[in-house]
Amino acid sequence: MGGTLGKDAQVGPMKYITTIDDKQFTVEIIDEKHVSVDGKVYEIDFESVAGQPVYSLIVDGRSHESYIYQGDDNWQVLMRGRLYPATVEDEREKRLRAAAGGGIVETGEFHLRAPMPGLVVAIPITEGQAVKRGQVILILESMKMQNELKSPRDGTIGRIRVRPGETVEQRQTLLSVV
Amino acid sequence: MFKKVLIANRGEIAVRIIRACRELGIDTVAVYSEADRRALHVRYADEAYLLGPAPSRESYLRADKIVDIARKCGADAVHPGYGFLAEREDFASACADAGITFIGPRPSSIAAMGDKAEARATVIKAGVPVVPGTEDVGNMSDEELLAKAPQIGFPLLIKATAGGGGKGMREVKSLEEMPTLLQSARREAESAFGDGNVYLEKLLENARHIEIQIMADTHGSVIHLGERECSIQRRHQKLLEEAPSTAIDEELRQKMGSVAVKAAQAVDYANAGTIEFLLDKDNNFYFLEMNTRLQVEHPVTEMVTGIDIVKEQIRVARGRTLSYKQEDVQFNGHAIECRINAEDPYNNFLPSTGRITHALLPTGPGVRVDTGVYPGFEITPFYDPMIAKLIVWGETRAQAILRMRRALEEYRIVGVRTNIPFHQTLMDSHRFMGGQYDTRFVEERFSMDTASETRENNTEIAAILATLVAHRETERMANIVNRNERDASNWKWVGRWERMHR
Repeated sequence: MGGTLGKDAQVGPMKYITTIDDKQFTVEIIDEKHVSVDGKVYEIDFESVAGQPVYSLIVDGRSHESYIYQGDDNWQVLMRGRLYPATVEDEREKRLRAAAGGGIVETGEFHLRAPMPGLVVAIPITEGQAVKRGQVILILESMKMQNELKSPRDGTIGRIRVRPGETVEQRQTLLSVV
Repeated sequence: MFKKVLIANRGEIAVRIIRACRELGIDTVAVYSEADRRALHVRYADEAYLLGPAPSRESYLRADKIVDIARKCGADAVHPGYGFLAEREDFASACADAGITFIGPRPSSIAAMGDKAEARATVIKAGVPVVPGTEDVGNMSDEELLAKAPQIGFPLLIKATAGGGGKGMREVKSLEEMPTLLQSARREAESAFGDGNVYLEKLLENARHIEIQIMADTHGSVIHLGERECSIQRRHQKLLEEAPSTAIDEELRQKMGSVAVKAAQAVDYANAGTIEFLLDKDNNFYFLEMNTRLQVEHPVTEMVTGIDIVKEQIRVARGRTLSYKQEDVQFNGHAIECRINAEDPYNNFLPSTGRITHALLPTGPGVRVDTGVYPGFEITPFYDPMIAKLIVWGETRAQAILRMRRALEEYRIVGVRTNIPFHQTLMDSHRFMGGQYDTRFVEERFSMDTASETRENNTEIAAILATLVAHRETERMANIVNRNERDASNWKWVGRWERMHR
């Protein structure tokens, strides 16, 4: 599948649909030095700085610099103190998503993962307990601050996988809400 | 003169103290935890000794080990910095008992001001106004506190008796929610200070947090170095400080300054200290607490007075008189400090850990950066999230804001998320520019989204950038999967692949 993508990239210009804050742009990568946005062609010079996710882009003589990192399902473009969360899809992906119907599923199991490494201080709920959206379900200490982790929706506490006093790694699953 | 000073701290403040010692020709001794072997303070110091494992309790809070190291390496004095052991009278006493000078106040002054309830009682006696609250010295049970709360009135604050830095502090709006909050405040205080005692204080609304820097020698001279405005806070953690405050004129400055001097004299104070006040909208001010140590935000005072506070601390610790009289202290221009924390402002300010892969520091006219990190250094979850302080000076407040904007834009830190975008958004906020803010401003009237709307919008450029990066990533992935089409030999390919995944 990836191979096909690679071939496409060599055959002709790659067309992407890029969305930022409900605004859609059709961005075509024509070659190393040219892109078009909604049909308008720009001359560009694009470099990453010292192999870092910091990028310098000169567009028609205007110099821009940005720190770009990957979010959960998008790209986070940080430029001049402003964050632009961008989703970038090629046409095929866009069509696939449209066919699937889209929409985020509000049901199903939610796994609470540690947003950072730390120490579990307290778990003020028990397995099987009903919880409300926004209710504190775990207290995690990191960098000397106690952080209250809340339930993202109403539900029932499923399995609790950690105990107070336990040290956890970033992204480790702590408990689930069903 | 001291020949050798041990710095019982880490991070930017350890580096700051090493710098002062270097300029004075004093040898420096660093102590470090296992997580800090590669830290800047270890690299800069003349000598360095391991304390123990990463958690503070087993390293930077091991007073016994630190005194032992100081004695063995022949240090004349110990500088505690801020946090950790800085406000522990037993540590100050242990240093004195070992014949080592503690660069700070007398143990008795630390004790008198360290217990917040006792501090209130002491300053009330000296005629200093305090915020209404529980006057009983510590040890009040939950039942007693719950009974006392309605008399003080809501909203009120639960504060840790041994507290500081907003730890163990909870805001209470009603009696119903108070038992739960008492419990969590005690828990946090217990883990931060090893002391779960709390007291109550009335919450003043629309108040500013103003503090006065004082400096005292052991010969009875006490002077003040003016105020610092510290109202920009989130969850009672200061994020930005400036001097002077837009809320204070010369008359009020002298009035608060002389009250601060009186509070310091009440506990026979020596060395650097800070008196924190709340200032209400009618310019009434109330004593909050005294920090018997060097403050994080001391650089803004240094920038407007030209006085090196750390050097002055070392001077008075040697028993010399202050270099300045009150009338020598002049204020020039305006200074702002932004605390750069490893926190994600777009994700509820959650702490961010990881290795710093790239850093470009702002420089140029009027800019100072105090930091303890560098590219390749790992930010661990064991210590405070503050990784740097960016301080600027300008002839006027407006010029300082413009300079801070410029410096924030130059600052690049890659590898961990930082709150730099928060400060950039704050610099653009009209209320901040107008100096119209109080301690609730950040939490109640500030948002990363709304303030962003006044900024230049570069959505189209961002879209181009995101697309180019995504495209590059797609091609890279394709090249990895698409083995049959590699143009290079297998060995070359393996080499490249490994480099990519290092």
